[in-house]
Amino acid sequence: MDELNVIIAGVGGQGILFMSRVLGHVAVKKGLNFIQTEVHGLSQRYGSIHTEIRIGRDVQSPLILEGTLDLLMALEPLEALRKATYVNQRTIVVMDIHEIPPVTAYIEKARIPDVDEIISDLKALGAKKVFTVRATDIAVELGDPVLANSVILGAASTTGVLPFSKDEIRSSLSDLSPARYREQNLRAFDAGLKEVEER
Amino acid sequence: MPESELLAPPGSKVLLLGNEAIARGAIEAGLDVASAYPGTPSTEIGEALSSVAEELGIYFDWAINEKVAAEIAIAASWSGLRSLTMMKHVGMNVAADAIFTLTYAGVVGGMVIVAADDPQAHSSQNEQDSRHFSIAAKIPTLEPSNSQEAKDFTKVAYDISEKYKLPVMIRTTTRISHQRGIVEVGDVRERRKKGVFKLDEPDRYLQVGNIAVKHHKELVEKLKKVEAEVSDRGDFNRVIGDGSDYGIIASGVSYSYAAEALKRFNLNIKMLKIGMPYPFPIRMVSDFLKSCKKVVVVEESDPIIESHVKMIAKDSNPDVEIYGRETGHLPWAGEYRPGIVIEAISRSFGIKLDLPAVNPAAAEISKKAPARSPTLCPGCPHRSTGYATRRAVKANSIVLGDIGCYALLFQKPFSLAKVSHAMGSSFGFANGFSIATDQPVIALIGDSTFFHAGIPALVEAAHHNRKAVFMILDNRITAMTGHQPHPGVSYTATGRPAREIDLEKLVRSLGIENVEVIDPFDHKRMEKAVRDSLNRDGVSVIIARRECALLTVRKLRQKGRIIPYIVDPERCTYCRVCINTFACPAFIDTGEKVKIDPAVCFGCGACVTVCPYNAIVPQEGSLNWLKEGVGV
Repeated sequence: MDELNVIIAGVGGQGILFMSRVLGHVAVKKGLNFIQTEVHGLSQRYGSIHTEIRIGRDVQSPLILEGTLDLLMALEPLEALRKATYVNQRTIVVMDIHEIPPVTAYIEKARIPDVDEIISDLKALGAKKVFTVRATDIAVELGDPVLANSVILGAASTTGVLPFSKDEIRSSLSDLSPARYREQNLRAFDAGLKEVEER
Repeated sequence: MPESELLAPPGSKVLLLGNEAIARGAIEAGLDVASAYPGTPSTEIGEALSSVAEELGIYFDWAINEKVAAEIAIAASWSGLRSLTMMKHVGMNVAADAIFTLTYAGVVGGMVIVAADDPQAHSSQNEQDSRHFSIAAKIPTLEPSNSQEAKDFTKVAYDISEKYKLPVMIRTTTRISHQRGIVEVGDVRERRKKGVFKLDEPDRYLQVGNIAVKHHKELVEKLKKVEAEVSDRGDFNRVIGDGSDYGIIASGVSYSYAAEALKRFNLNIKMLKIGMPYPFPIRMVSDFLKSCKKVVVVEESDPIIESHVKMIAKDSNPDVEIYGRETGHLPWAGEYRPGIVIEAISRSFGIKLDLPAVNPAAAEISKKAPARSPTLCPGCPHRSTGYATRRAVKANSIVLGDIGCYALLFQKPFSLAKVSHAMGSSFGFANGFSIATDQPVIALIGDSTFFHAGIPALVEAAHHNRKAVFMILDNRITAMTGHQPHPGVSYTATGRPAREIDLEKLVRSLGIENVEVIDPFDHKRMEKAVRDSLNRDGVSVIIARRECALLTVRKLRQKGRIIPYIVDPERCTYCRVCINTFACPAFIDTGEKVKIDPAVCFGCGACVTVCPYNAIVPQEGSLNWLKEGVGV
């Protein structure tokens, strides 16, 4: 099977669809087969959401088979943890360290695992590598928390999992950014490139 | 979406959502008129058309409901134009009255109906399968398996529709509607632009008694032709591979799961791909079954192909073993995933297929992540309506919800709206409960849902002066599906000016006297209004009016930075009243204090009055949406 499987996970409203579109844009430019599954509608309202991306000649299904995930990009650590059933020995994880616990968890007094626990759980499941980046914090410093998606894209582009170069991703990010956000998105991307940390 | 992708020149390859591909297919077919009511997972077809309709000269607008949308498309077709209407599966229930009789009358200009099913009920109240409508209303139906087919099938559906003078349904499921894939686009046919309605046959559009029976006979003849000339001919239904005497019959997205499974495990099993499930390809299936010993049928959502296959097998090959839902090889409820289909293939044919290794601890580890259901956004007016209503309702009150973001008020801490059923049902049920019980009744409905299906129930209540509180949660848009205009706003889907229907005047025109329009952020006033209304005899209407926070925040962001609120740690006593009664997603519980996450807070100030200790305070530059009239 010629396949590369990517999940981008996060909380509704964090701009996950935009990240997927950037990767799709690079894939089309490079003539690679690309299928992506998106979530629209009610689930976008601060719920747990993710997109599944599949790149490669033999790919037909829009959904990923458990155990075949190559890259997990998470804009929120608890959402990375939620995708544990996909994590296997070929999985590389790139995640933000800023937790956004669901407010219902406070009401229910549910236990909220911290970032260190999440990292060790993902490693225990055999994740090949776990990278972290202060994506939301950097985004807030740059003036807008929604820029965290570009920070994660920058961080993920250093891992070498994607069949695209950093410059290819950066240039598609630039092409797809609305003019008003372009400069900020690219700054966020570059910050992600620099500040990514292997754990 | 960027318009350039939707209007890419013929021959180019672009990434399109299944829904966008359907829009492109219709555009290529020379679409003239399209009308729809938004509903997940169908909405992006209309969103795509909105973005290009003016440029192309196509008529597109969101209609008040699916039935009116279908009627607009039907009239356009009868005038000789090519038309489109699209809806989510439950929208078919609303449009069905018009559609059932349409097949008797037939069409003139090609007409396509898109029914987008939602297995797993990701954004829906049920998992119904629209192909039951194909059979019941006798509508030729196509089922694409990816974005390319979604585009191609839609385009050719117009030719089939015109040739046989029948509407054609495109049936999708969520993973087709919402998969983005590479589509090679084709040439765009010239539009007809303006139609003429002609009565070539005096009784063509008249359905009653013997005339209806005559047209029904014609319809059956037309369908036989479609079966022989299209369905059984291999344009949409085809056999892939030869090999063993094991066979898979699959349609829609399930086909892609099965096809990939064969590749992954290098299996030599032939497949019959069903792209046109109605009229059913009897000859083709019959031939396929004759060549098989074992067959597994893979389809979402109900065993429609499976039952047909069984009926055909009785004549063509009674010995063939047929597996599917009815034999327990596939689940009845919920959507399929690749693993489910692999397992069904493995069990049906007795072939051992090793799924990729997953750590057995993974499921438990995944469950450590606390549940994160969809939640009302920060700044959402519905949270404030829910907060105030919760304080006002009595223990025995019947609080009815409806279809929209406010359905989320069923969650803690609001625990309202524990009844959520179908579009407009809250207002309909309120009539019934006020007859059947002596309990206080309060019904919530969104503005768009009120226009769609709430008006008749409110007229009913006004007519009988029912003792019930009717709350219209007017957030000035159809919010849940992504902000489509409705008759209560002053613009159309393509940005043209339109008459804004004044909700208050509409309600008052029914003779209802107790009508209040309130900004839900004014918690005190809202609470009092709900309490007073509950104590009153007869109909009360409360219009809770405040724009969807996502729209407000979008406008504010264009002007500058959002300045979040903060919690003054000196004043915060960690009583957790804010979390336990208001539950904004921006609240952080540190275990000692409550904080506000600046990455989540919209800076609306709605929570300020919730804190008994006045600990929630603005920063320099924070707005107070209530006091400053932002978003109303």
